[in-house]
Amino acid sequence: MPSPKIEGATRAATVTFDPERWVDEHGDCLYRYALFRVRRPEIAEDLVQETFFTAVRTSGCFRGKSSERSWLCGILKNKICDHFRTLGREISFTDLEFLDDELSNKFVSQGFWNHERGPLEWKPEAEVVMQRAEFWETLRNCLSKLPERVADVFMLREIEELETEQICRDLNISPNNLWVMLHRARMALRECLEINWFKDPRQGGE
Amino acid sequence: MSGEYNPSPEDNPSFLARRNRFQTALVKFIGERTPKCREVGRILSQSMDSKLSLITRIKLRLHYLICAWCQRYDKQLHELRKFTSSVPRHLDDFSVDTLSPSAKERMKEALGEDRRE
Repeated sequence: MPSPKIEGATRAATVTFDPERWVDEHGDCLYRYALFRVRRPEIAEDLVQETFFTAVRTSGCFRGKSSERSWLCGILKNKICDHFRTLGREISFTDLEFLDDELSNKFVSQGFWNHERGPLEWKPEAEVVMQRAEFWETLRNCLSKLPERVADVFMLREIEELETEQICRDLNISPNNLWVMLHRARMALRECLEINWFKDPRQGGE
Repeated sequence: MSGEYNPSPEDNPSFLARRNRFQTALVKFIGERTPKCREVGRILSQSMDSKLSLITRIKLRLHYLICAWCQRYDKQLHELRKFTSSVPRHLDDFSVDTLSPSAKERMKEALGEDRRE
């Protein structure tokens, strides 16, 4: 039962608060985001419910400038950050070792790229790529190959857009460990996208 | 070439490659004075999260003259950021998960109670 999106958007403009309607119109969308980030359905459900509660309490702050959905998404983002904060504990070291072997042959011994394995040029352009539904599936698969804790940290940085200092504080990670994790996550994802999308002849060009 | 330190192989697409003696000398000169690619990768990742010092930024610019790959890497890290931050807007493209009808009912009930209080 997908909610009628356009209807929802126009109705939001009139700023009538009907939390029960939110559940029907935005519930699935919020749930997908939460589930993607926390992976466990029962936790995702809780986060969505808490989002609605907070929305009811803070509805006075909603001026109808943004769409109702992005307002709710913003609240959910904070809930997700809170969730990881309460979960925060020191990263186990095995998570940091995940890429060592794969990386060593990217560089020759002196530290320069082994050029046959250096970054390829990505074609087509990012804007074109982002139009393709399959691309997002590829990216999701690449993200799911990262060790969970590394993926969590990487997405808190890139999706919830937390500052690095904040992540260190909330998750009790040393700045150095955070740099290493982000660096390796980026390297691994870049590589994964290159192999599974940009190098794949089915995706090349239009 | 093995053993000798060579940031610039034959078909190097970089601005400066070893196309003649002058370039070779220049490539070596810059190669010795800028961070090596492995280090550049780390620096570029850091640059996504904090501002680099002026001197580091200059070194990167110089390094790009002899290394098109690192410049590409920089560009791709920015694209990766654009892709990742857009994931929430594209969840419908790969996810069909929905709240169960019973979960929706529970939420509506809880919200109703919450409002009556």
